[in-house]
Amino acid sequence: MKPWKRKSINRESKMKQKVIFMGFILFIFTAVYAFSNTELERLDNSVFEKPQRPSAVFEHDDHNEMAEIDDCAVCHHVYEGKELVEDESSEDSLCSDCHSLKPDQENSISLSVAYHKQCRDCHFEENKGPVLCGECHIKE
Amino acid sequence: MPNEIKTKDDSPVVKERKTDEAVEAGLARLTPERIKNTINQVLQKETGPRFKAYVETCMHCGLCAEACLYFLSNDRDPAFSPAGKVKQTIWEMLEKKGEVSIDFLRRAVHIAQTQCNVCKRCSMYCPFGIDIAYLMLLVRRICHKLEITPLYIQDTVNSHSATMNQMWVKEDEWIDTLQWQEEDAREEFENLRIPLDKEGADVMYSVIAPEPKFQAGLLYQAATIMHAAGINWTMPSSPGWDNSNMAMFTGDNEISGRIARTFYETAARLKVKRIVMGECGHAFRSTYDVGNRWIGWAMPPFEVVHALEFYHELLTSGRIKIAQKFKKTVTLHDPCNVSRGRGLHDMAREVTNMLCESFIEMTPNREHNFCCGAGGGVINCGPPYKGERMVNNRVKAEQLKATGAEVLIAPCHNCHSGLEDIVHHYDLNMEVKFLGDIIYETMEKKIYKPGE
Amino acid sequence: MNAFIDFIMGPMVWIAFLIFILGLILKIVLIIKDVNARESYIYSYMTLKHSLRSIFAWLIPFFPQSTRQSPVFYSISYIFHLLLFIVPIFLTSHIVLVNEAFQVSWIALDDGLADILTVMVVLALVFFTIRRVMVPEVKYLTSTKDYILILIVALPFITGFLAYHQFFLYRPMVIAHVISGEIMLILIPFSRFSHMIVAPLTRAYMGSEFGNVRHAKDW
Ligand code: HEM
Ligand code: HEM
Ligand code: SF4
Ligand code: SF4
Ligand code: SF4
Repeated sequence: MKPWKRKSINRESKMKQKVIFMGFILFIFTAVYAFSNTELERLDNSVFEKPQRPSAVFEHDDHNEMAEIDDCAVCHHVYEGKELVEDESSEDSLCSDCHSLKPDQENSISLSVAYHKQCRDCHFEENKGPVLCGECHIKE
Repeated sequence: MPNEIKTKDDSPVVKERKTDEAVEAGLARLTPERIKNTINQVLQKETGPRFKAYVETCMHCGLCAEACLYFLSNDRDPAFSPAGKVKQTIWEMLEKKGEVSIDFLRRAVHIAQTQCNVCKRCSMYCPFGIDIAYLMLLVRRICHKLEITPLYIQDTVNSHSATMNQMWVKEDEWIDTLQWQEEDAREEFENLRIPLDKEGADVMYSVIAPEPKFQAGLLYQAATIMHAAGINWTMPSSPGWDNSNMAMFTGDNEISGRIARTFYETAARLKVKRIVMGECGHAFRSTYDVGNRWIGWAMPPFEVVHALEFYHELLTSGRIKIAQKFKKTVTLHDPCNVSRGRGLHDMAREVTNMLCESFIEMTPNREHNFCCGAGGGVINCGPPYKGERMVNNRVKAEQLKATGAEVLIAPCHNCHSGLEDIVHHYDLNMEVKFLGDIIYETMEKKIYKPGE
Repeated sequence: MNAFIDFIMGPMVWIAFLIFILGLILKIVLIIKDVNARESYIYSYMTLKHSLRSIFAWLIPFFPQSTRQSPVFYSISYIFHLLLFIVPIFLTSHIVLVNEAFQVSWIALDDGLADILTVMVVLALVFFTIRRVMVPEVKYLTSTKDYILILIVALPFITGFLAYHQFFLYRPMVIAHVISGEIMLILIPFSRFSHMIVAPLTRAYMGSEFGNVRHAKDW
């Protein structure tokens, strides 16, 4: 199973999300309460020793559909040294297989920086999608 | 404040009584242009980055208030707090770009000349070390240039200008007085002299003009101490003998500089090794700290020794011996200008303990003393302001009372007079004395000979 | 919208920091030039020893008499000023941003702790405000400008706090946070917040006059 899919998916979450967003503005506290009962599809952050933020919400299939990404290698890249290896993809390995918690000799990009760069940089370039901490690390 | 009225722009202006005829006459002569030009000239041309930093950095935190005797004595009325006084004067002048009213100036001169002793205590309480005393002196400078300085103190400045002494003492009167004291003192010490104009003496002794004018006994005492200690000393017969400097406190810097120059030139003419001065605080400030700067000396061109330090030297070197210590309980007032102004406070305690049997501290003390309320030219503004001067230093009275001492030592002329007023006004039943009084009373009247 | 966020979290941060740092440097340079031109005599009194002596004395909590007479205010002010620097510098979110931009990072506060410290800063500012309203000698000196200054410091903390908790309007809150933070930085050299560098200078001068000429302490 792919790491971001380990948690169960609530199929109604998309509708609910909208409702909850409205509720957010209208009844902050009830909304917070409602939120805490909702399960969103999140990345597995168990490799982080003491995560400071809730793990990022990421709905893999919806995202790729919306972003019209077909090629896995757009995200699941393979590097050899500093060189990007074209036409190879890495969807069978974990991000943390290559990116450790702290930058090291083999890989100068730490795991969290890798995630941030991967997602935020693209969202900035495309001028779409979440770019602020709390837009991915949504409170549980 | 009960008598507060509001002006159109809502800044509080206290309705001022017309207290002082010279201020009123001066105000009547002013025109709006002159006010504006003078204020802007002083604030822009006569100040520098220091002024700018003080005005632009003050966080309006009010911490300086705790330092000021005026604030504390007036039941914490914010109008008397250091920064409050700056607000009522400098801030408004800056805000209005010098276009201030006659009423404003009447209040400003009152505040700057009589509600601040320029004692610099507040600079020790402001976390930024903002020099409020300097800002008040700037206001005085403006008032001087507008010719609205209070009558009595202006008269002393006029006297300085004409005679180089503060009290219109004529040259022959001065010499007469010294000779008369010399004659009297010879009844105690057969060969006592008050040597005039003795070139190359070790010490030039200098005093303030009120001594020959009202307190000639102090000259007598000083002469006996010098004689008993076997000091090679002299006093000048010419102008320059008076070390006081009231112009320093009215912002008349030009005359202040002339006074200091004449003083040092007199010492130079007599080729003395050093200058010893009587027990006066502001005169010390003038000759040690302020006057020298105005005439271009970073530090005084002569070693200037305050009486306190000189007594310390005489007592520790054994040139003066104490026959019997002073019996009554004493307390000591630290004059700002020689404690906060020169760090002589520990010496003052040593001297007091060498002279007196029982010494009681008043608190706060040393650098943190409260001013007597007379200093900085306040007492010199004279009778019109005496009543408020008593109210404005209630804390000193409370502080004195708490000691329960019988005698109050005040090694400074201004303090001495100011404290005498306080003692009477608040019925404190204390005797105010100079250190010289006590030395004279307790010393062995035997002439010092080296090796004995 | 992302482009705008990219601007305020990218180039604008640069601009804010440059103005903040260059502004402070410019301020010092202008003061020194002005001193040289108009008040160079103060150098005859300034000594390094007495300057540092006074500055350090005033940095020690409850050493100066003044701090002992207003212990509550000074304690709060002391903590406020420390946190003013510590919280933003050691905040995880800030470090993450710096790390992504420059590949440098340093130890971070735990987010929960940072959150509490942020509340403390805001409470300190509330205290300053109440004091301005309640204490007569402070009220007397206070004008609207003083409240505005307090507000300028408070805004980055309040918006940062609200954003962190994602209570409401998350995106606008972060935008408000970043902009208010930048405004605060930009204003430091040009407002009374410049006491950050001017205060050591005035203290050094007063410390020198007291130590060197007056042979007395100024604390
Ligand atoms: C200069 C540009 C700045 C940027 C780009 C920036 C960015 C951020 C970001 C992204 C967050 C996280 C929001 C979240 O967790 O959802 C944050 C939080 C915060 N920032 Fe800033 N910030 C800036 C300036 C400042 C300044 C100047 C201060 C204070 C002096 C400050 C104080 C804070 C605080 C107190 C928090 C929230 C802490 C908490 O409650 O956990 N920031 N900032
Ligand atoms: C090293 C830097 C700094 C030092 C040594 C310093 C010191 C001081 C001192 C001594 C005061 C006077 C009263 C008190 O003790 O609170 C003060 C007040 C204040 N400072 Fe600072 N400060 C520094 C930096 C800053 C900065 C960068 C800011 C804001 C951006 C700031 C904001 C304030 C505020 C708002 C007050 C007024 C509190 C009130 O309203 O009473 N300070 N500071
Ligand atoms: S110099 Fe002395 S009298 Fe003047 S405001 Fe400061 S503490 Fe008060
Ligand atoms: S203590 Fe200093 S900064 Fe605070 S109000 Fe007084 S002069 Fe201004
Ligand atoms: S008269 Fe005395 S107490 Fe007052 S300022 Fe002068 S030295 Fe200070």
